[in-house]
Amino acid sequence: MELTTDVTNLWSEGDLNKFRRMTLIWGATVLLLLPILASLGYFMRMFQSNFFPHMRPEWFYAVLTLHSLGMVGTWFVGGMAGVSYLLTQYTHPSLAISKLNYWGTLVGVLLLVACTLGGLFGTGWYFLFPLPLYSQGVWQPWATVTFFVALAVLGLCWTIWTLDLLRAIAQRYSLKAALGLNYLLGKPGPDVPPLVLISTVSLIVSFAGFVAAVIVIVLFGVDALGYAIDPLLMKNLTFFFGHILVNITMYLGVAMVYELLPSYAGRPWKTNRVVAIAWDAVLFLILFAFFHHLYMDFAQPRWVQTFGQICSYFLAVPAGVVSIFGCLALVYASKMKWTLASVLFFLGIMGWGVGGIAAVIDSTVEVNFHFHNTLWVPAHFHTYYLMGVVLIILGFIDHLGLEVSKLQESPPRTKAIITLLLLGGYGFLSMFYWAGAHSIPRRYAVYPNELAQGTLYARVAFGFITVLLCGILLYLWETGKRCIKAFSA
Amino acid sequence: MIQMHAFYAFLVVGGLLVLIFIYVAASTRHSREIDFHAAYAVRKKFFFVLLALILVGFGLTLGKMPYPQENQVPDKVVFVVGKQFSFGVSDSPITNDQEYEAATYAAPVELPVGALVEFRVTSFDVNHGFSVYSPNGDLLGQTQAMPGYVNRLRLRFTQPGRYNVFCLELCGMGHHRMRGVFYVK
Amino acid sequence: MHQSFLGLSATRGHAGSSLRKSVEPGKPPCTRLARLGFALCLVLGFAGCLQAQQSAGKPSDQPPNEDFYLYKQVPDITVQDKAGSTIQLSQIWRDKPVLLTMVFTRCTGVCSPFLNSLKSATSAAGGLGTDYRVLVLSFDPKDSIADMNGMAEDLGLKSNAAWIFGIASPPEIRRLAEATGIWFRWDASVQQYDHPAVVVAIEQGRVVRMLAGATVPVTGLMEVIQELRGKFVASYALPGKVAFRCFEYDPRSGHYTLDWGLLLMVLPATFAILATVWIFFLLPARKRIADSFPVARTY
Repeated sequence: MELTTDVTNLWSEGDLNKFRRMTLIWGATVLLLLPILASLGYFMRMFQSNFFPHMRPEWFYAVLTLHSLGMVGTWFVGGMAGVSYLLTQYTHPSLAISKLNYWGTLVGVLLLVACTLGGLFGTGWYFLFPLPLYSQGVWQPWATVTFFVALAVLGLCWTIWTLDLLRAIAQRYSLKAALGLNYLLGKPGPDVPPLVLISTVSLIVSFAGFVAAVIVIVLFGVDALGYAIDPLLMKNLTFFFGHILVNITMYLGVAMVYELLPSYAGRPWKTNRVVAIAWDAVLFLILFAFFHHLYMDFAQPRWVQTFGQICSYFLAVPAGVVSIFGCLALVYASKMKWTLASVLFFLGIMGWGVGGIAAVIDSTVEVNFHFHNTLWVPAHFHTYYLMGVVLIILGFIDHLGLEVSKLQESPPRTKAIITLLLLGGYGFLSMFYWAGAHSIPRRYAVYPNELAQGTLYARVAFGFITVLLCGILLYLWETGKRCIKAFSA
Repeated sequence: MIQMHAFYAFLVVGGLLVLIFIYVAASTRHSREIDFHAAYAVRKKFFFVLLALILVGFGLTLGKMPYPQENQVPDKVVFVVGKQFSFGVSDSPITNDQEYEAATYAAPVELPVGALVEFRVTSFDVNHGFSVYSPNGDLLGQTQAMPGYVNRLRLRFTQPGRYNVFCLELCGMGHHRMRGVFYVK
Repeated sequence: MHQSFLGLSATRGHAGSSLRKSVEPGKPPCTRLARLGFALCLVLGFAGCLQAQQSAGKPSDQPPNEDFYLYKQVPDITVQDKAGSTIQLSQIWRDKPVLLTMVFTRCTGVCSPFLNSLKSATSAAGGLGTDYRVLVLSFDPKDSIADMNGMAEDLGLKSNAAWIFGIASPPEIRRLAEATGIWFRWDASVQQYDHPAVVVAIEQGRVVRMLAGATVPVTGLMEVIQELRGKFVASYALPGKVAFRCFEYDPRSGHYTLDWGLLLMVLPATFAILATVWIFFLLPARKRIADSFPVARTY
């Protein structure tokens, strides 16, 4: 897509080049982190396969913590970098803030590595209160403190980034326009691309998520000072923040597809009344869907649980009827240019849908009674993460690399990448689903004898991840070449 | 078993979605102009179908929440305390560390077949997940063991045998070996 | 919610939480304040226990622990009521759930203040006669129906059909007392029975709740009545000092009410709205490039 023609008022050629370069640096960093963090997951499945019988389980939980936080963080910044680059067509995000975030994220990640791999801090991504304070001597207080400092650094940087992108949108669009209210009310107004609408919704919500995270961290401090904190309140806040962060990352990916897929399909995909209604509904529903993480907390009133299920179910409507259907309608019988990027976008939306179905099933209270914290949970979120937003962001990086380097891709290698990613990815996921349906718990370093079949499923998954990693490495080879060429350009 | 029903439901609906994606991808081999009004009409139908499915889903499931029913008096109460890294399961109350230790070493609780049992579940340290696995290894139900709260889980066991309790909330390095047991006779 | 069961529940809560705070080796070095706080809590808790026991008039003995008697079957004894007719206990509980208590008429201590307190608490809590009845039995073999009638009359409850005053044969009384944890023993030195003041809630012939203490707390009784009505609360909070909770169980309505902790849950969305307003409406020097130039899309 040519950017320069329509942004002459906003960007000088030099500034835009700098921004593009920064985006490439983000992309390269994401590409570097992907195989490292993926190998951590590989390690976990190997651990569960009993390949390291003499290794202490503390390592499993520390790696689990780094893998989950690292992946969530990587794809969130990947999504933010991609969206802010695409927003340069319409408005003026700050390059300085992007740079600040780059260094801030790097510091945060290094601190996370230090406290997990160096300090064996192993509470999982959600550091559920009061677990960080109950280490049983596994991790030292310095690791706990480092962990919270890392979270604070990341949270602060990402909050600033969120606010800056909102500021950039506000420079050009009124709130009414940015939320698509003109379309909703059928009133005349400026053209608002879906990218802007979805970004606005996502950024507002993610700001709320970061505020919740700040409250959680502060309350941890208050508890450490000796005032008892309600663990149920902490759980609500933790999942409010966690659920939002993960969902927003998905939405940032979807926003990119809305923006980029039309150029491959040769058809427009514009905001209209239905799209506006859908995303404004998301803005509301997403604030309450997190209740489905607390179904097994009987201390939550029953009406809250019911409301959680209702919101979770209804979140499927805007996603399915508007975004997924819209994507299918856009591609159907079009003059689609199937490249690595466009295939990844298309498959990413499919993964979002498949994972969403599994999520809706699990958000049923009756089903969750049997699925909560089994491997069904990582099954569904890995589906819309790994086979969803990750593919989309990989597609975006490839799209950008191609746009700048003009290095053509080789169809056989593209086919090989897609085949390996699909086979490895869905094969790996199928073991999660199958194990979840057979009551195998998640987050177990070693399976007890009664659940020994979990070890078998882990071994099968190990095979599939090997295939998946081959796909990832082949992708890195292909896209990496383009990115390097793009840098030197 | 509800888990397998959910699994097959997922396979069917997910498979259908994948088939639609394949169909749409294949349609690009013969490109043509499509009428967007026709697409909107399909979308409208899809919307109503999805809405109907959601309402049916609510109708089928909202009434079957696993929280205990009203107007039931259980036949037996069992006290459960989670603490890094074991469950104390006992038919007498566990109110302090000594009683918890005693409960973890005592002979397993025996419950009568067919009796409605109320588990009163709490934790002495961090969050744990109290889950009950049948002799065949099926997860029958669960509730969180949370410090400061007592959650009341009611289950009826029809199958005699050894039931395992596992922890379903990450609670530290010994999470995977945290367990408890009781018998149904 | 279980605060009603004052003495023991309070000790239980503190046992749990003090353990949570003190045993931990990996806890960051900020526990001194915590320990101080908990020492304070413990002292207050013990004071609470002592007070409860003293007011029950039994400094040396504990009231029964509800947890030991939950859902246990109550023996179906034969009761002789105010009018002198005999009735099976099962007939009474089948008709309506029952609040059972045991006293003796020669009591110079806790019995009448306790029954007075129960009377005012039941009328304040509501549902008496429609949702449940109160059964007052004597464990003193010397008590006759006339003695019990006299007691009812003193309390102004003689004509109240929701209050049943009665006696039963000593062996049957002993069986019932054992099943519900109500103990009594004759103290020759003071010529009085030593006994706790306890209300036992019986539904479908099983013990579902117990309330101990000479003063019957209205909120505690409301919880018991909710349980007798078959309203099930899936979780209750242990008593303990917690800054704020999200939800609080309200026994009056049987529903959860929102508590102060929920304010913290609303904060994120509030801040998000404020930030949005600030950015879109209040940021100075905002040059809205707006609709001055239309975007030429490339597709």
